[in-house]
Amino acid sequence: MLTTWRGLEYVPQAHTGKTMPSTPIPSAVTDKARLKALANYGILDTPAEPGFDGIVQLACQLCDVPVALVSLVAEDRQWFKARIGFPPCETNLNSSVCAHALAQPDELLVIPDLTTDPRTAQNPLVTGEPHIRFYAGAPLRTPSGMVLGTLCVIDKVSRPAGLTETQHQCLKLLAEQVLNQLELRRAVRARDVLRETEAQAFRAREALRDMQAVVATAESDLETILHAVVAGAMQAVPSAEGGAIELLDGKELEYRVVQGTLGEHKGLRLPLDGSAAGYCATSRRSYLMLDATSDPYVQRGLIGTIQLGSAVFAPILRGETVLGVLKLQSVKPFCFDERDLDQIVLFAGAATAGITEAAARSEARAKDVYWRRLFDRLNEGFIVGEVVRNADGRITDWRNIEVNPACGELLGIDPTTAIGRTIREVLPGIEDAWVNEFADVVETGQPKTFTREVATVSRWYEGHAFKLEGDRFGVIFLEVTSRVAAENRRTGMLAIGDKLSNLTTIPEMTAAVAEVVGLTLGTSRAGFGRIEGEVEFVNIEADWAAPGQSSVAGRHRYDDFGNLRAPLRRGEPLVVNDVARDARTRKNASTWQGFGINSFLHMPVRERGRTVAVFIVHDVKPRVWTPEELGFLRSVADRLEAGVARVRSEELQTILNAELAHRLKNTLAIVQSIATQTLRGVTERDLVQVFDQRVLALSRAHDVLLQKSWSAAQMRAVMESVLAVQADLDRFALDGPDMNISPQAALSLTMLLHELATNALKYGALSTRAGKVEISWRTVETGAPAFVLGWAEHGGPSVTEPNGRGGFGSRLIRMGLLGTRNAILRYDPKGLLAEFRAPLSDILVQSH
Amino acid sequence: MTPSQRPNPSLVLIVEDDPILMMNLVGYVEEAGCEAVEATSVSEAICILEERTDIRTVFTDLDMRGSTAGMKFALAIRDRWPPIELLMISSQPWDKAQIPARGIMLGKPFDRRMIIAAIQTLAA
Repeated sequence: MLTTWRGLEYVPQAHTGKTMPSTPIPSAVTDKARLKALANYGILDTPAEPGFDGIVQLACQLCDVPVALVSLVAEDRQWFKARIGFPPCETNLNSSVCAHALAQPDELLVIPDLTTDPRTAQNPLVTGEPHIRFYAGAPLRTPSGMVLGTLCVIDKVSRPAGLTETQHQCLKLLAEQVLNQLELRRAVRARDVLRETEAQAFRAREALRDMQAVVATAESDLETILHAVVAGAMQAVPSAEGGAIELLDGKELEYRVVQGTLGEHKGLRLPLDGSAAGYCATSRRSYLMLDATSDPYVQRGLIGTIQLGSAVFAPILRGETVLGVLKLQSVKPFCFDERDLDQIVLFAGAATAGITEAAARSEARAKDVYWRRLFDRLNEGFIVGEVVRNADGRITDWRNIEVNPACGELLGIDPTTAIGRTIREVLPGIEDAWVNEFADVVETGQPKTFTREVATVSRWYEGHAFKLEGDRFGVIFLEVTSRVAAENRRTGMLAIGDKLSNLTTIPEMTAAVAEVVGLTLGTSRAGFGRIEGEVEFVNIEADWAAPGQSSVAGRHRYDDFGNLRAPLRRGEPLVVNDVARDARTRKNASTWQGFGINSFLHMPVRERGRTVAVFIVHDVKPRVWTPEELGFLRSVADRLEAGVARVRSEELQTILNAELAHRLKNTLAIVQSIATQTLRGVTERDLVQVFDQRVLALSRAHDVLLQKSWSAAQMRAVMESVLAVQADLDRFALDGPDMNISPQAALSLTMLLHELATNALKYGALSTRAGKVEISWRTVETGAPAFVLGWAEHGGPSVTEPNGRGGFGSRLIRMGLLGTRNAILRYDPKGLLAEFRAPLSDILVQSH
Repeated sequence: MTPSQRPNPSLVLIVEDDPILMMNLVGYVEEAGCEAVEATSVSEAICILEERTDIRTVFTDLDMRGSTAGMKFALAIRDRWPPIELLMISSQPWDKAQIPARGIMLGKPFDRRMIIAAIQTLAA
């Protein structure tokens, strides 16, 4: 028994100089399938493991040998997973006995004396140290029949008897245990690899997902997105120590986003030609740089700068266009493999999506900013509203969805707090029309243009409303208060012009103008007052007052209301915007307020350098009187003054005319009296009476003319007044258009008709009870316009043409109207027929 | 004296401050068959009316010095001597409402026929 022997002294001389006679190695050794199977177990060159060590110890004791090995036969060597009594961990195949065991996969190889066996006699381990003599090896046979090597026992003395039967069986069983160990080990390793792969895949997925989340986040700008891409790629490829995205800029790549060991190289620029990233970009292919020092594309100078050992590159493409390169690198060479290349390509794709997304987002944001800025800077108010419906679906209000800053100024509201509130909440008391009109727009889809007041704020707006989607609508509008006020003032001025020219008395005029002014300016009271003395008193005539306000007509002393006279005496308007604040009225504020006045304006009317009257407006509210309103009142006061002056001069004229008429008539009466008294001795009293009558006729024409101040007379009135002197008017039939005739025509017509009637009374139709006279007149437009007067008597005695030259009457008749001598007289037996013509232009009043 | 004059002609008081017109007015009254009593002022006329009771008709010009004197006088007559008839002449227009009751108003210059007709009517 060699139980104390514990092993062989190994002297590594087998490999020294001596050339060994080669022993043919079994062909099974180099069998590809076998070698592949061996590699598959991944056992070669791994550290010792207790499982295998235990087996070889057991084998030693079992077979009572100093040496036991788990020997695995590779293509060019044998390697020992476990060994006892044999120091080297491997030998070449020349020294291998086990190799021969491969030739008999089913049986143990037992060589009782190695020196005598032709296969081993020349084995260096037999011929030299450690001089082994006995060998028994059980094949390590896989389930598929491949022999990987042996579990073998070795002795330094030959054993002619070989192994006992028990040793034989047990060694075989132990060999199976070795194989089991190998299988178990392989399974564990496969599981670990799987786990690691899964973990890595999981990390990569996580990284990808995190990165996509960043890309998808609306707030992310390009920089953020690219950072997320690099961070994700580095997380997915753990061996990466630095990462960068280099974006193409002209002929160069710029380190746009950097992380890890590349962290300090942001902004680094590399030419497309002569860099590994450039190669990747120009070839549009991912690139694995195993070792920078031997890389054909790398820029040599860069290796030290960026501590480049190895790297992976992937192009960032949009379609065929290269945007840049995603790069991961390590300080050490050989840190990356094809799997890493696959990962980086994935992230490069995400970078493309990110860049595209960021660009689109930036464009959209720019557009948003553009529109928002436009919306914010618009001078016009812009509101997006949404109608509010009641339970029946009827629109009762609308809500502000968007309100631009201009609205704040225009509506006098805070635009930020207006959003989300309804218009009735924002502007309480707003007219229903502001809801109904926009409701119509929403219901009909028809846009509408409006000009309307919000009375609660006394402001006018003009704008355009149009339907948006659903219950929404847009309104764009401007304030037009001053324009509407100007229009009102213009309209008011026209109305005043009309009233002044149509009305004939001063109280009517002042009352009418006051009403127009009050309504135009939206004041509570307006009136006209006459000034007494040096603006000591004012006599306010019938004034106009808004509903609920009382009149202040009557006499007032200025000094009772404050220190007010100075501007009016100078002819300047007295303007008080707030009686409680104005220094001139502050002490008398309660007096003013007792009349319902908080602001007022007195516009002086001047005559020969003195203020003779004032036009007055009052408002119940304090109010800033604008220069436009002052100008308006100035014009009104001037016009009213002009109108009053006209009426006064007309009144004066009427008085003068009446006086003149009175004197004229009196004088005519005196003329009659003188004539009568002078002709007292004349025996032909008829002639005296004819004279009397002629004077009377003349005076009648003046009566008619007086009614129009001697500027014109009514045709019919002239005729009737003169004819009435001679006979009842029912003896005459008048037929013709009434018209205004000139004073000369009136006198001529009067004298002519008087003489015709006198004759008719004496000799013609009026001399009998039944006779009548038809008087007709017309205008003739053919040729020179003419006036034609006809006189036709009938029902009287038969007449004949008078003899001789005739008297004054006959001559006057023959001279015709206005002395034209255009008179046709026909003494028809049935009665006189006469026709007189005169130029129409001489008959009619010349309008001027 | 004209043949048309009646034996007991009725008296007509003429009030006129213009002597020329007075002559004419006297002529009209006499032509109408009445007897004229002349007063050249309102105060004289009132004195006459206060003294005499036989005057039934007053014929007055309203256009006398002091523009409203004539009409005031006419109204005073209607007030103090209601039975007396009034014939008035004036160069001014008067509203019907201003004219005293039963008074006749005629204009200037004179319409002889109407004046004579009016005197005859009133004095009848």
